[in-house]
Amino acid sequence: MNSINPEIRPVQARTRPRRRARIIVPVRRRFGLRTRLTVTFALGAAVLSSLLSAITFGLTRENLTTQRERSAVERAAVDAARIPAQLPDVPTNLEIEQLLRDIPLTDGAAAALSYRGRWFTTNTQSFGSDTVPTSIQSAVDDGEAIKLHAKVNEKSSLILGVPVPALPGGYYEAVPITDLQRTLDRLMLTLFIASLLTTAGGGLVGYWASRRVFAPLLDVGTAAEAIAGGRLDTRLPVGGDSDLDLIANPFNEMAQALEDRIDRDARFASEVSHELRSPLMTIAATVEVLENTRDELPERAQTALSLLAADVDRLQQLVEDLLEISRFDVGAIKLHLEDVRAAEMVIQAVRVLGGGGVPVRFEPEVGEVMVRVDKRRFGRVIANLLDNAERYAGGATAITIERVQELLRVSVEDRGNGVPIEERDIIFDRFSRGAEGGNRSNDSGVGLGLALVDEHVRLHGGRVWVDERFDGEIGARFVVELPIIEPPADSAIETLIEPVNLM
Amino acid sequence: MGTRILTVEDDERIRTAVRMALEDEGWEVEEADTGEEALQAFTRQPADVVLIDIMLPGIDGFDVCRSIRRVSDVPIVMVTARADTHDVVAGLEAGADDYLTKPFAPKELSARIRALLRRARPTEVGVTHLRFGDLEIVPDEGVVLRAGVELHLTKTEFRLLVELASAPGRIFSRESLLEKIWSYGYFGDGRLVDVHVRRLRMKVELDPANPRHVITVRGLGYKLQP
Repeated sequence: MNSINPEIRPVQARTRPRRRARIIVPVRRRFGLRTRLTVTFALGAAVLSSLLSAITFGLTRENLTTQRERSAVERAAVDAARIPAQLPDVPTNLEIEQLLRDIPLTDGAAAALSYRGRWFTTNTQSFGSDTVPTSIQSAVDDGEAIKLHAKVNEKSSLILGVPVPALPGGYYEAVPITDLQRTLDRLMLTLFIASLLTTAGGGLVGYWASRRVFAPLLDVGTAAEAIAGGRLDTRLPVGGDSDLDLIANPFNEMAQALEDRIDRDARFASEVSHELRSPLMTIAATVEVLENTRDELPERAQTALSLLAADVDRLQQLVEDLLEISRFDVGAIKLHLEDVRAAEMVIQAVRVLGGGGVPVRFEPEVGEVMVRVDKRRFGRVIANLLDNAERYAGGATAITIERVQELLRVSVEDRGNGVPIEERDIIFDRFSRGAEGGNRSNDSGVGLGLALVDEHVRLHGGRVWVDERFDGEIGARFVVELPIIEPPADSAIETLIEPVNLM
Repeated sequence: MGTRILTVEDDERIRTAVRMALEDEGWEVEEADTGEEALQAFTRQPADVVLIDIMLPGIDGFDVCRSIRRVSDVPIVMVTARADTHDVVAGLEAGADDYLTKPFAPKELSARIRALLRRARPTEVGVTHLRFGDLEIVPDEGVVLRAGVELHLTKTEFRLLVELASAPGRIFSRESLLEKIWSYGYFGDGRLVDVHVRRLRMKVELDPANPRHVITVRGLGYKLQP
């Protein structure tokens, strides 16, 4: 097969049937919990402050009005009581008006007297018989004291009607209460603003409280993310708050269980591979001994030996790859990092592999670009990419090294069928490869090559992906991206050796 | 008498298979399955190359390596389980000249042994006498003197010193030293060079912490200061 298979099938061994995942379905809400908490606090504050304001306003108004009315009523009564003594038996209009004028009134107040059905007033314009309803007038005439609110001279006023003793008629006073109204208006405005501020304050408190409540939850999210990202030893702090421990403890237990399990699996793979090595060594050495005497063997045995030798190689590669990958899983990889010229390293890797036919292209200035790598492992990256091209696409056509800002890109191109977009991620999964490739009789690939490339590159702080060819023609381009190291005049050559205490 | 190789390995099957493969190369092979037995065999009749598995029951490979090193400059290849552990550096510090990781192909082992045997033969520097301060090197005789007193260098240490001395003041990259002395290419393990340089300093420098002759050129390699 000279191409990457269009159908790549990830093969995953499942030793036991998968239990159905239990999913807790969350109730869908339009707003987040934090928003709801903030709004609830604000609404609570609004209701409470409005209620308090209303009560305050009501009581204050009641109080002020009552006070004002009482004093006005008392004055009016005093004024009315003085009238009979100052009025002759048959007073003239002039005398009555004089009398009204002599009454000491407060600022803006007006007085009126209904005498035998006639009205006399200090304020002829608007305080007259029209102002006071006739029902009131007759009630006053009948000896009742009356008060009512009305507008006099466009001013809110309190009108008091008091019967004058021993006189056919009533005495009326109109006391403007605009100042009282103004006071109450101001009070209302003040209370309204206070309510608004309280509401806003409530909202702020709600927001702050929600943040306080959520901070530990956000920690849980961050921790979960870290675990998902592979940092399995992530734990939440316990012991600070007994309520939060209710979340932290089970979370930590879950993380521990997960870590243990993954650890166990990885260790198992590592131990299995380890155990496989000794017999494999014996077999490989024995096969080599047999190969040395190949000519003395009958033809059938020679064929059998060839089969054996090929599969021993394949098995050895598999065990080596498995070991390496299980080292990744248990986090036991120790990189021997060195600062090297990237281009030189790639050229050397190609040369060591005997892939001299693959051109390595780069601009002259890229030749000096340094990267910090574990040479042996990075050599494997290049080797695996070339091997992949060889296996599935008839060999690599070119390797291109380029600098993209602070990153170095090494592209390995081939003339295969390319990799469909939907398979560009899974191709780096373990044991995933073209189905057709898997059926090929002389295929010795074991499907770990690209997975190892991915792990190695990530360990070097880079990434790898599949793309279209530079020229847009059919084929694949595997791109490895690494961070560039500033060319050091003074790189740490000896930091690679750690002193070892032998005794 | 042909070249004798002593292999120390506790797994009988591996030992036998390796012996057969090495015998096919025309070498004489002596086997030992414990460290104690290996030391006895070596005392009885020194080998030309020793192959030691680090993981041995009883006294381990490091101790065998050190014990042999005390009495001999024979080339030693050690076998470790992994390349990226301290085992490699520890084994080199214990006196090993080279290492292999299991599982290795016998062909690879033969290549390593051949490189070591090449090193064990007198070099062809073409200079009979080299002098650096109080250091005196006689390449043809394989002798190094400091202030007239002979120093005991292993074959690899000697080759390293002579290589550096062939062009005093010139900087040798680790890659070039790996290639010239160990026959490794670009992807060889630089720790081989680093540990051997350190071992060399312990012997030729009066104050190994502040070397006067074998100098590290950071980021580039090593040189011999005349």
